[in-house]
Amino acid sequence: MSARMWEGGSVRMARLARLTLLVCAVSCATWAVSQAQEDDATKPHGNAFVTKSSGRCGVCHPSERVAFEKSRHAGEDMRCTTCHGGNEQSVDQTSAHANGFKGRISRADIPASCASCHSDQKMMRPYDLPVDQMALYQTSGHGLKLKAGDTKVAVCSDCHGAHDVLAASDPACRTYVTNIPRTCGNCHGDSLLMAPRHQKDSYHDYLKSVHAKELFDKGDLRAPTCVSCHGVHGATPTQVGDVNKVCGRCHTAERRYFLAGPHADGMAKKGMSECASCHQDHAIQAGATERLASGCVSCHAKGSKEAALGAQLLADYKTADLAVSRAEEQISKADGVPLQTDDYHSRVEEARTYLREAMTAAHAVKPDVMAAFTARARSVGTEVETEIKHKLLNLLVEKVALLVFWFYVVMTIGIIRRWRDRGPKA
Amino acid sequence: MNDTPKVPGDTPEAAPARKDAIAWLEERLNLTELFSFITHFGIIYTPIDTQRPLREQWKKIVETPMVAYARWPHILGLLTALLFGLEAFTGVLLAFYHQPTIAGAYDSTRSIVRDVPLGWLVHQVHAWGSSLLVLVVLMRLLRLFWDGLYRAPREVLWLSAVALAWIVLQLDFTGLLLPWDVKSYWSAVRGLEVVWAIPFVGPFLSFLVGGRTMSEDVMGRFYVLHIIVLPALYLAFVYVTFATMRRVGLSRVTDRGVAQAQAMTTFRRHIADLLIITLVLFAALVTLATLLPFPFHGAADPYTTPKGTRPPWYMLAPYALFQVPWIPDWVFGFGLLVVAACVPFLPAFLRVMGERIDEPRLKRIGLGVLGLWLVLSVIGIFVDRR
Repeated sequence: MSARMWEGGSVRMARLARLTLLVCAVSCATWAVSQAQEDDATKPHGNAFVTKSSGRCGVCHPSERVAFEKSRHAGEDMRCTTCHGGNEQSVDQTSAHANGFKGRISRADIPASCASCHSDQKMMRPYDLPVDQMALYQTSGHGLKLKAGDTKVAVCSDCHGAHDVLAASDPACRTYVTNIPRTCGNCHGDSLLMAPRHQKDSYHDYLKSVHAKELFDKGDLRAPTCVSCHGVHGATPTQVGDVNKVCGRCHTAERRYFLAGPHADGMAKKGMSECASCHQDHAIQAGATERLASGCVSCHAKGSKEAALGAQLLADYKTADLAVSRAEEQISKADGVPLQTDDYHSRVEEARTYLREAMTAAHAVKPDVMAAFTARARSVGTEVETEIKHKLLNLLVEKVALLVFWFYVVMTIGIIRRWRDRGPKA
Repeated sequence: MNDTPKVPGDTPEAAPARKDAIAWLEERLNLTELFSFITHFGIIYTPIDTQRPLREQWKKIVETPMVAYARWPHILGLLTALLFGLEAFTGVLLAFYHQPTIAGAYDSTRSIVRDVPLGWLVHQVHAWGSSLLVLVVLMRLLRLFWDGLYRAPREVLWLSAVALAWIVLQLDFTGLLLPWDVKSYWSAVRGLEVVWAIPFVGPFLSFLVGGRTMSEDVMGRFYVLHIIVLPALYLAFVYVTFATMRRVGLSRVTDRGVAQAQAMTTFRRHIADLLIITLVLFAALVTLATLLPFPFHGAADPYTTPKGTRPPWYMLAPYALFQVPWIPDWVFGFGLLVVAACVPFLPAFLRVMGERIDEPRLKRIGLGVLGLWLVLSVIGIFVDRR
């Protein structure tokens, strides 16, 4: 009985076990299939070395493939064969390097290779890209030398990269604003490369300039880099006579005053670089007030009437600056009381603006032109100082009122004492 | 005093029913009880009988003989109440304009001082009043200690004097933050550091005042503490002080010790003295506010600690202790906590010590502690570890 039971039980148990196994197997299979489907959805088909952009070239040229896949070109119908020719479907070297294969493009041919697309208006229109880079490049110092057979000059790939071309808006791009000085400096900061060409290290000079301070220290992306003055694809050195135009693109007021003054003609006659003679060419320095006088004697003789003129400009400026500083001193005194000084703050700000304008007007090197501003700054400063001093003096009224107040206090005390003494003394 | 009774020939003994405003009110309001309340608080000293004519009542009030406490050294107690009254009055005026938020505090304070007519005076009187109040309560504490007024039956007087001093310090500390200028901000920051350094209760106290670091919470809680909680507590202890005086009387320190002060004046003379003192006090505050105004600082900048930031002068001594680099903060924090706990219980402490500590010796100890406190305060002016 017990054996039958066991027998029947074992059959049932075996069925149950088989069923359980089956359920497990089916669920495992379902899971595996669903996983496989997910993998298929997320991974590209087939071999990872073969990609859409680089075809089968990447099988043998992995580093180029990786660089190219990250580039701006990769997603834009560009393939290895667009520049290099050959057959991207083949992994056999002989058949791959056939079919109009160009191999490594020589430096002299690079501009033309890039221009084959970038000078094509029809191809560039969808990207709203200019197509004049090649034309500009051919007018540039680089382009002219390349045409003359000097291949040790910058071609497209030196600044933009070869396989890893990025969009200029990408902060990692070599031609992103903050990277431009280093990109140019790769060659122009290399004295070994520049010395035979009798060119100085303008990159490290630039790093000392007020422009570099603005760009790197203050993070002002509008600050000028190499290309702001020299041009981008048509980069050339700025010639004497053009310097004031280049600098004047931003420093418009300085240029206007400079051209109105005697220096413009005199420097042109002597062949002196206009702005750079005082402010230097690449290590450009902001105008320091003291240089109003000290700068003159670097060209004019000490004791000459020009040097005296410079001293007068400086004296004018300093008098005005002192007046404004004294007004500011009074304002901080008044703020400590405090008095209402909002109006004075804005007036002193106005005076400071006049002083800045005076430094600009100093480019005309004419005392009357500069005095138009220093005199205004001085008068505003003196006005504010006088008005606040007057108000501070008015505060003395409170002290005088104190005497009157005490008079009444003493009187009242007297009255109270009389009332107190009316009654009996305890 | 104008509404003299119209009933002719009324006498104190046989007063007929009155028919004036007082009688009218008495029918509708328990005036007698109200007046007894006033008497209880010591504003006047004579029970007021509403059945009697006012003129006679007044005469009785002003000619009541009483002890003169409107003079040294009892005046210190009086000043704690008078100065508090002035502070409450000017404080209410300031609260009309002040905005207790981080965004509005500095601007509203500046507008009080700069744009509101006589706002600068109210502001400065409030500031000088608080400094004087701190001085007065601390001096009063010293005086009570020196004259042994912590002994029976004046233990409660001592306890409430300690409580008043403590509350005034807290009032000053919380009020200092409210202008939210650079000095008040950093004083409060340093103060919060001291609060946090106190062991056991420090974290809890920090939580109560809104946290370890400065925030809108701290501002709001300081404001509520400053204008509601602490003044209410202060008033309660002022009442305790006066109630003690009513029971145990003024002290009179003689060569043989503390004795009961004797009746020396009338209520008329007393109230006149009180008025004169109030007037002189107010005039002194106005003079200080005009001639030696507290400077007005720039707005608080949480990102830059100005050089030489110190807590208020009465906190310089504990601050100096916390500047010792090789002793952890909790050691002195614990010490301060023990001292703070011991001072109110000085009478109990003396009872435990019994005959082992006599009065001259206790005075010498007190002088030593005071000297140490002064030295530490001077050190606190100059030392800055952080």
